[in-house]
Amino acid sequence: MQDIAVQMLASKLSGHDYTATDIASVVITGMSVVFIGLILLVLFVSIYGTAFKRKNEKKKAKLEAEKAAAKAAQQTAAPVQKIEAKQNEPVIEDGIDDEIVAVIAAAVTAMCSKNGKKPVIKSVRRSVAQRDPWAAAGLADNTRPF
Amino acid sequence: MLDQFLSTIADLAKASGVAGFFVDGGWKNIVMILISFLFMYLAIAKGFEPLLLLPISFGMLLTNLPGADMYHSEFWVYQTVGDNDHYIDYGNILQHGGLLDILYMGVKLQIYPPLIFLGIGAMTDFGPLIANPKSFLLGAAAQGGIFFTFLGAAILGMSAAECGSIAIIGGADGPTSIYVSSKLLSNSDSIGVGTIALAAYTYMALVPIIQPPIMRALTTKKERSIVMGQLRPVSKVEKLIFPILVTVVIALMIPSAAPLVGMLMMGNLLKESGVCDRIAKTAQNELMNIITIFLGVTVGATTTAKTIMTLSFAKVIILGVIAFSIGTACGILLGKLMCVLTHGKVNPLIGSAGVSAVPMAARVSQKVGQEEVPTNYLLMHAMGPNVAGVIGSAVAAGVLLSIVAH
Repeated sequence: MQDIAVQMLASKLSGHDYTATDIASVVITGMSVVFIGLILLVLFVSIYGTAFKRKNEKKKAKLEAEKAAAKAAQQTAAPVQKIEAKQNEPVIEDGIDDEIVAVIAAAVTAMCSKNGKKPVIKSVRRSVAQRDPWAAAGLADNTRPF
Repeated sequence: MLDQFLSTIADLAKASGVAGFFVDGGWKNIVMILISFLFMYLAIAKGFEPLLLLPISFGMLLTNLPGADMYHSEFWVYQTVGDNDHYIDYGNILQHGGLLDILYMGVKLQIYPPLIFLGIGAMTDFGPLIANPKSFLLGAAAQGGIFFTFLGAAILGMSAAECGSIAIIGGADGPTSIYVSSKLLSNSDSIGVGTIALAAYTYMALVPIIQPPIMRALTTKKERSIVMGQLRPVSKVEKLIFPILVTVVIALMIPSAAPLVGMLMMGNLLKESGVCDRIAKTAQNELMNIITIFLGVTVGATTTAKTIMTLSFAKVIILGVIAFSIGTACGILLGKLMCVLTHGKVNPLIGSAGVSAVPMAARVSQKVGQEEVPTNYLLMHAMGPNVAGVIGSAVAAGVLLSIVAH
């Protein structure tokens, strides 16, 4: 079958400055060289990428450890204060300022009061979105269908 | 007195460009001028690659106006001097050539494409490729269109130089197509550099129309819906090492790809180094714009009626779209394989961006992906194969030059 294909190709190519073998060699060699070249680059870039990733992770771990140690030292120094949450108070995730909670509550109230509803904020927590909303807005702007 | 006046008017009419339309084959110039109007319309009204298509179409208009004498195709016919059968008398061109003849020297001597690559390098962020080096493979797979089309052109009975010049259109890279075709094509070939450039830039502009049906046909809804995680941040040192590494590896492996890859990476190093802001900005803007004007208008000028209105041009157009489609399909198919091997972590749609039409092909991946999952952002993932495609097509060009030219 292959012989017939090569013969057919050779007969079509007869009278030119190349043979079927030349054409096959261009196709096979060409694809192989492109793949070999780029696979080599994959290897080199992966190797140095991994090295840098490890280095960065080590740096990050070291910084985090230092931070944790500093926090622990602060906690032992300060008196322990435990404030019990009131029953109707919203559950606020750590690290969200009261001012932000107030702004969110005001925005929600302003939106809902138009419909005559009385909203109650039960909890405020960070969204699990992978991207920060400004970055997402920028991306959406740049990738709007053309 | 009246006779003298009338004969002077008749002489002027004969010497005018209008008379040129009525000589043998003059109607072809009218057709070419109408085609140039069509390209101007596509560039201005439809926004098809206007930065290149507009200068190309205007060059096409200038060269087909009889009597304007801005470009002389006869100056570019190779002569045989001693052992050299590719001799061009550049001294004669400088003395007697028109404006476009002199500017065309930059194409014929392969000066403009590497300079365009310098600008592209200075504008490109290789971060997504460094963060996910496997993208290189998608950039390599999409070059399949080049080599399969080489085979197809050979079966259609074209010469080796024509096969190589048409096949490179599959790389979806205008400067690379011009670079390869200007090196390979000679007098005996039925197509010219202008034909190849016109086809390459037309197809690059048509990426959003050609690619999506192929992408949808080769992938399932489930595959298109795959959401890919964020790429890791890449440090500055990694970005600095990258251009140097790529230049050394590729130039040592395929020396004939060095002018394109070398300039691309030099432009990128200028940008990433952060210490050559002035030069990097010149490469990105002024130099790039100047070369784009020269390249566009001179390539347009080579599209004279006698080179375009031939059966070979029809073959270039048909084989070009096949090359482009096969390149897209090869990228998608390798993307599917990577999807299977990574247990569904890779969206195969990013494979089509392996053809190097930057950034349009990546934007097409983003758009098709977002049709399934509106919150899915594939753009940065697709930029990896996209910039790998630029390197891949430059490598493929080097391979074609080193094999076919000998």
